[in-house]
Amino acid sequence: MNRMKLRNFLRSLILGGLLAPQLASAAVFLRISGSELPAVHDMGVKNLVFVWPISDVSAVRKVQAQGYQVFFEASIGDLSAAAENAEKMNIAGIILAMENVDGPGDNESFRLVTAAHPRLSFLLLNPGGKEPQMRGRLVVERNGILQVSSPTSQPWVDTNLALVKLARAFRTDVIPLYSFHWNLSDALRNKLGPAAEDYCLAISEANAFHADVILDLHEKLQQGLVRKESSAWAVWNNVKRYIAFEQSESAASKLRPVANTAVVMDTVAPSYEGLNLMARHNIPFVVLRPGALQPKLLESFDTLVVFSALNSAAATVVGDFARHGGIVVLVNLHGEFPWHSLEPAHRDKQATVYNVGAGQVVELGEPVIDPEAFSRDLRRLMGSQRTTLGLWNSLTSVAIADRQDSNGETIVNLVNYAFEAEPVQVQIKGHFSSIRYESPDGGCCQYLTPAQRGPFTEFVIPALFIRAKVHLYNQ
Amino acid sequence: MHWHRPHLFIVFLVASVSSPILCPQTEPPIYKKRYVMGTVFEVVVYGLPTDRASAAIDKALDEAVRLDHVMSNYKDDSDLSRMNRTAHFQTAEIPPDLYRVIEESLPYSRLSNGRFDISVGPLVDLWKAAIRGGPMPTLQDEARARDCVGYRKIELIPPNRIEFHSNCMRLDLGSIGKGYAVDRMAEILRAQGVRSAYIDAGGSTMYGIGTPPEKKGWAVHLRDPSSSLNPEVMLMDNSVSTSEQTADSALGGESPGHIVLPTSGKPLKTKYAVNVVARLATESDALSTTLLLVGPENGAVMIKGRKDVAAMWISKDGDRTVADNGVQIFRENRAGVQTDGHSAGTKISGSPNQK
Repeated sequence: MNRMKLRNFLRSLILGGLLAPQLASAAVFLRISGSELPAVHDMGVKNLVFVWPISDVSAVRKVQAQGYQVFFEASIGDLSAAAENAEKMNIAGIILAMENVDGPGDNESFRLVTAAHPRLSFLLLNPGGKEPQMRGRLVVERNGILQVSSPTSQPWVDTNLALVKLARAFRTDVIPLYSFHWNLSDALRNKLGPAAEDYCLAISEANAFHADVILDLHEKLQQGLVRKESSAWAVWNNVKRYIAFEQSESAASKLRPVANTAVVMDTVAPSYEGLNLMARHNIPFVVLRPGALQPKLLESFDTLVVFSALNSAAATVVGDFARHGGIVVLVNLHGEFPWHSLEPAHRDKQATVYNVGAGQVVELGEPVIDPEAFSRDLRRLMGSQRTTLGLWNSLTSVAIADRQDSNGETIVNLVNYAFEAEPVQVQIKGHFSSIRYESPDGGCCQYLTPAQRGPFTEFVIPALFIRAKVHLYNQ
Repeated sequence: MHWHRPHLFIVFLVASVSSPILCPQTEPPIYKKRYVMGTVFEVVVYGLPTDRASAAIDKALDEAVRLDHVMSNYKDDSDLSRMNRTAHFQTAEIPPDLYRVIEESLPYSRLSNGRFDISVGPLVDLWKAAIRGGPMPTLQDEARARDCVGYRKIELIPPNRIEFHSNCMRLDLGSIGKGYAVDRMAEILRAQGVRSAYIDAGGSTMYGIGTPPEKKGWAVHLRDPSSSLNPEVMLMDNSVSTSEQTADSALGGESPGHIVLPTSGKPLKTKYAVNVVARLATESDALSTTLLLVGPENGAVMIKGRKDVAAMWISKDGDRTVADNGVQIFRENRAGVQTDGHSAGTKISGSPNQK
C-alpha cells in the first residue's frame, strides 16, 4: 500500500468508527463498464456496481430489468446526488468510497444522507485493497523499465488479510468491503485481460477472510460473454465454480478467530506493514484496541505485540502477562516499565530482552524497519509450541482458522496465491479426530487422516490449487 | 527445493529508452512468472511477437517445473527423493539431469575441501527446525547428522547410476539446482529463437541472454549488506548469483542461519554477502555458496584461473573484496557518482588490472 493510500485507509478507519453502516452481506460485486450482460443466472453474480456519476442511465435500467441488483459507488462529495438518484431509480444501495473521506464534516454529510434515504443500503468501501497475487521481483513499467519489486527471494504474496483484520478491529459490526483494479501494465495481460485464476483467487481470498469484494469485470471478458464466445465462457464458468463454492461460507459473525497473538494498537500508521507481513507469514493474530488490555481477555493469547503507548495500568497487565509465560514485544515504546528493575537477559542496538517470570519481554528500540525480518523473527521467538496454526511446504499460501462455538467446529480457510497445486501440510493446535476437506476444484468432501503430534493435529491437503476449506471436529 | 538464500536485494534495471524515436522497439517485452522450486521464476523476452514470446517463455518455465520434479527434496515422488530413499549401499538408476547436476556439483566440493557439499541435507534439516523456532540441536544430534554427510561417499557410475556409501546420506541440490534449471531454460529460449531475454530465479540467480534493446547489457544491482556501495553488473550471455547467510534476529533471540558448514556441522558465521558472475548459471549458483563458505581470502585464490568468473564479497560494514581475472565486471555507484571500484578499506584480489 503506498503512503497516500495507507493514509486514506487509516483515516477511513478512524472515521468509520463513527459511522453506522446499514448493511453487510458476504458477497462478490462486479464493477462493470459496458451496458450489456448475460442473464443473472448465467453470471452467478447478482450485485453490480456502477461508478457515480453514471454516463449511461439506460445501461443501469437494462441490467435492473434483467434482475441484477445495482449499487452506485460514490465519493463523499457525490454521495448526496448519488443517493437521490439511487432512490429514484430503485437502486439497491450506495457504496461509499472512503478514499478521500476525511474529518467530522464528511461524517456529518454521511449521517445526513443516510438519514434522508432510510430505504437505501450504505456500504463502506475500504481503500487500500490490492490485487491478490504472488508477486515477482520484476515490474514492467509504462516506459519499459523493469525494477525490483521485492528485496527477498522468498515469494512475495500480496494479500488483503491485514487490511481486513484492521477494518474488522476498528469497525466490529461490519463485514469489510474492499476493491482493487487489475494491474494491466504488462503487455500480455493488457491484451488478454485477467485470467480465470485471477478472478478465482480474488473471490477466494475475500471469502476466506470473511470480507466482501468488488471486482472489475474486464471489458474484453464482458464483451466475450455477451457475444457467447466459448473462450470467454470457459473463463467465466471457472469463476462461477468458485463463486458457488463460496456461497456456502458461514457468516463471519458466528465465528471466533483462532489466534495466539494479539496486536495492540490505537493508530495504524507505524505498524501496518508489520501486520501485513505477519499475515503473510501465517502468524494468527487479532487486533485489539488499547482499552481491551484486560487480563481476562489476554488469557486466550500467548504472544502480545504492542505498538501503542502503555500507561502504568496497562504496563502492569503486560508485565503480568509475561510473568505467566507470555511473550511480549514492545515496538518503539520508550518509558519506564516494571520489568526494568530486572537485569536484561540480552541487549544489543536493536533490542533489549527481559526474562520476566515464565515469559519474556522484548523491547525494540525503533519502529519496524524490516517487516519481513520482524515477522520471521517473531515466528521464531514464539517457537513451534506456541503457534496455533502453521503451514509447511507452502510459501505462497495463507491460512486463517476460526472456531464456531455453536457446534465446536473449527474451520481452516486456505488460499494459495501461486496457482500451482501443491500438497500442503497443516499443523493446528488441538486434537481433532475428523477432518473434512473441500475445494472448488475437488468439490465436497474428502476426509483427511489426522496425525496427533503432542498438542497439535497435523494433516496434509493433497493438492491446494487456489482454495480449500477444512472442517475439523473432535468427536 | 525450498531452502532459500534470504535477503537477496538485487535490483534489476533494464533501462529501455522511453522515446520511440530513439528506440524503434516494435514488440513490447513479454513477461511471465511461475512458482517453481519454492520461489518465483520470472522471464522477460524482447524482440519476438507476443504469441511467440509467450509460448517460448511457457516452454522455458515448463522446463523449470519438470526439473523441480527431478530435483525437489520436498516432493516425495521426485527423482531426487526416490534416489535418497534407495541408493544406500546399492546402485540406483537416476535420470540424466539428476546425474548431470550431481556430477557438476562434485568439483565444487573438491575445490572447497568439502565446504560445499550437496550431502549436507541432514545437517541443514537439523538446523532448519531450530530456525523455525524448534529447539537447538544437541551435540549428539550434530554428530549423528555429520555421519551422514560427505561428498566422498557419493559414487557416480556412468552413465546413469549412483550409490551412497552411507546408510543415512541424503542429497540436497538447493545450492546448485536453480542455476542448473536456469541454464536449461536459457537453452530452450535460444532454441525458440529468443535473442534478448532475462531469467530471474527468485532473485538469487539471474541470467541475461543477449542484451535488452538499445542497451549494452542487462544491468543488475547486486546485494550489498552495507547499503553503501550500490554495486551492479552488466549481464550479456552470462549469469550472476548471490549468496548470504540468514540475518541475525532483530528480536534478540539466537538465530542460526540456513547455510551450514559441513565441516563443522554448524551454521556458517559470516559478515559477508557474495555475488558471483560466471558464464553459466550452474557455475555462478554453486560458486556463490562455495565462496561464501570459504570466505574472501581462500575464495579469491579459487577464482584465479577460472575463466570468465568474478566474485565480490561485501561485508555489513562496507568492506569488499573483488576477485576476477582481469576484466572489471563489477561497477559501483556511490551517491549517484560512478566510481572506478576502489575505496578505502577495500581489498582487491586476483586482478592484475586493478590496484
